[in-house]
Amino acid sequence: MELLIWLIPLLPFIGFLLNVFVIRREREAGLVASGVVVAAFVVTLIAVAMLAGMPPEERRIVSTAWEWINTGSFRVPFAIMFDPLTAVMALLITGVGALIHIYSIGYMHGDPRVVRYFAYLNLFVTMMLFLVMANNLLLLFLGWEGVGLCSFLLIGFWFERKSAGEAAVKAFIVNRIGDAAFILAMLAVFTYFGTLNFYGDGEGGQIGFLERVSDIAGLRIGPDWQPIFVSTAISFLLLIGATGKSAQFPLFVWLPDAMAGPTPVSALIHAATMVTGGVYLMARTEALFTASFTTQGWVAWIGAVTALLAGTAAMAQWDIKRVLAYSTVSQLGFMVAACGMGAYVAAIFHLLTHGIFKALLFLAAGSVIHGTHDTQDMRRMGGLKDAMPITFRTYVIGALALAGIVPLAGFWSKDEILAHAISHGHTPIFIILFLTSLLTAFYMGRQVALVFFGTQRDPGYHPHESPAIMTVPLIVLAVGAVIGGVINLPVLHWLTDWLEPVLHEKAGEFNIWLALIATIGAVGTGYLGWWVYTTNAARIKIGGKDPAYRYSGDIWEGMEEAWYLDRLYQRTVVAGFEQLANFLARVFDPQGVDGLVMGIGRFFGGLANGVRALQTGYVRTYALVFTVGVLLVLGVMLWFAR
Amino acid sequence: MVPTSYYILLSAILFTIGVLGVLLRRNAIVVFMSVELMLNAANLALVAFAREQLGVEAQVLVFFVITVAAAEVAVGLALLVAIFRTKRTADVDEVSTLKG
Repeated sequence: MELLIWLIPLLPFIGFLLNVFVIRREREAGLVASGVVVAAFVVTLIAVAMLAGMPPEERRIVSTAWEWINTGSFRVPFAIMFDPLTAVMALLITGVGALIHIYSIGYMHGDPRVVRYFAYLNLFVTMMLFLVMANNLLLLFLGWEGVGLCSFLLIGFWFERKSAGEAAVKAFIVNRIGDAAFILAMLAVFTYFGTLNFYGDGEGGQIGFLERVSDIAGLRIGPDWQPIFVSTAISFLLLIGATGKSAQFPLFVWLPDAMAGPTPVSALIHAATMVTGGVYLMARTEALFTASFTTQGWVAWIGAVTALLAGTAAMAQWDIKRVLAYSTVSQLGFMVAACGMGAYVAAIFHLLTHGIFKALLFLAAGSVIHGTHDTQDMRRMGGLKDAMPITFRTYVIGALALAGIVPLAGFWSKDEILAHAISHGHTPIFIILFLTSLLTAFYMGRQVALVFFGTQRDPGYHPHESPAIMTVPLIVLAVGAVIGGVINLPVLHWLTDWLEPVLHEKAGEFNIWLALIATIGAVGTGYLGWWVYTTNAARIKIGGKDPAYRYSGDIWEGMEEAWYLDRLYQRTVVAGFEQLANFLARVFDPQGVDGLVMGIGRFFGGLANGVRALQTGYVRTYALVFTVGVLLVLGVMLWFAR
Repeated sequence: MVPTSYYILLSAILFTIGVLGVLLRRNAIVVFMSVELMLNAANLALVAFAREQLGVEAQVLVFFVITVAAAEVAVGLALLVAIFRTKRTADVDEVSTLKG
């Protein structure tokens, strides 16, 4: 069993090594890369089956490979573990990952750097698996940074485009802010617990910090006039780390730009897996978060605000992928808000269903982009439903699932979050999230109308359906998006029971009225979005304004710019930094550094000019110098010999 | 017997003439001859001291000086020939390409 769980992350790693060092041809690269991830999925299934065969309270396998770091009291084992929470994450990563790998074979066909692409993708899956399987914060951080690196490499995969390179750098730098907080959290955890392990290895060794959070209960740090609980400090730092990786307010600005990468990458990294790392982290360290009432409030509000801001921003985008990107940010806000309200199971449930239907939406969008010869502006699309029937149907299924229509996957998970909010008295957050869910339905209706209905507004290309290697993963994911809700139906609540040993949560009550209102609302606004943009299709011009702009005016512009958060950073952080860089480049460097270096050079140059006059080149002068020198030496010797 | 100091005086005069010859004359051959004069002035002083102290060490030293002088002449004349061939002159002031 221990060997088996090591196989899960190592299989993609082998694929990565093969793709880097051995494989040189496109076809083999795609087959090997997909093969190892499919194999990892199969191994994960077997591991889950074996895990399910154990008694619930013993469902945790910890395996230590070697002592990674051992210096004095700071000891970190290279240890992975497999428990119910890890199991569902690993299933999502390898399952959706495998489909996206297969899809990539078709999507990336003909690209000059396909082998490198698949190598990055395999490395990403490896790192993501280490992230969810790590049994200590440091190994989790290795995966955390590893996926960040792969995200950077894949966003900038088409680095010939300047925007792609800039987006990659932006994603990397914005993530650094969260990572710095993560490192501080790790230091704090080590200071107060003396270990970074989540759980003990079950062999009489040290027990992990998640099992003894009560150690720091009531402990305070900080100045006397404003002490804060240690648990608040640690969990808040972890929250900042999660806002970076999971693209939450105020750090979500990198995710929409990250759409510069290939579309399957957006599906895998920027929708289904990597960006959910922050939610996973909060669920994993749930014991720390629930120990701090203050942080929980922050978490819930950050999630809710993000959901609303990104939801409104998604309404006003023209780029087919940016709509989905803002939608992802918004749905991640749902998950984070759920974590903040203590509904960790609902958060993970939504994470899983969202991973499926958002991957479906991205892949279908990729199919649209592929079939329309790299068109991303929805103003240039329209009427694609006849040319791309499979893409159209799967897209609509994904959109309905995202909008939360009964009985698709998104309905059940979103409803669980909303029901938890209302039953635990988080009314303001409930209102925000409910509003956001209506917006979600609206922008998905708008997008479906813009892309698939009406007539083709740009006749400059001939749309065609994608090959089977791309449509089959779409169909599989569409089936998943339809039936995905089964895993945690209100009556059966399998997922809640499955995660009970880790998250210690009981199933919530199913609120039939809420479900009814939410569904009617979603259907209504979804239809409204579709209706507005099909009836006003004639008003949509390439490069023109949105029809809704006439009624909402500048608010629409604010939504289009995601409430100017990017511009705020541009004016403050980036502008300040550029001024500093300008000062260094224009003043400090030429006058300070260059001045010093050139000054030294000039000093010795001048000195040498003075001295060179002594070198006359006349032998007689040298002889005279000898003579005078000898006389001087003799004189001195005589003087002292007296 | 002639006192040693006379020999030393003569030696000093010869040496001074040699030094002045090296410093003041421009013809390389003459400079060369002046160097020889200085060497032999030193030889004269050495033998004068040897006679006064009735020893042989200083006389042995003179043989060394003569040997070195012979070697020096060989190298120096070869240099002179080489310079004359390239510069067509034996004037030492004309050879100043090492000027800084």
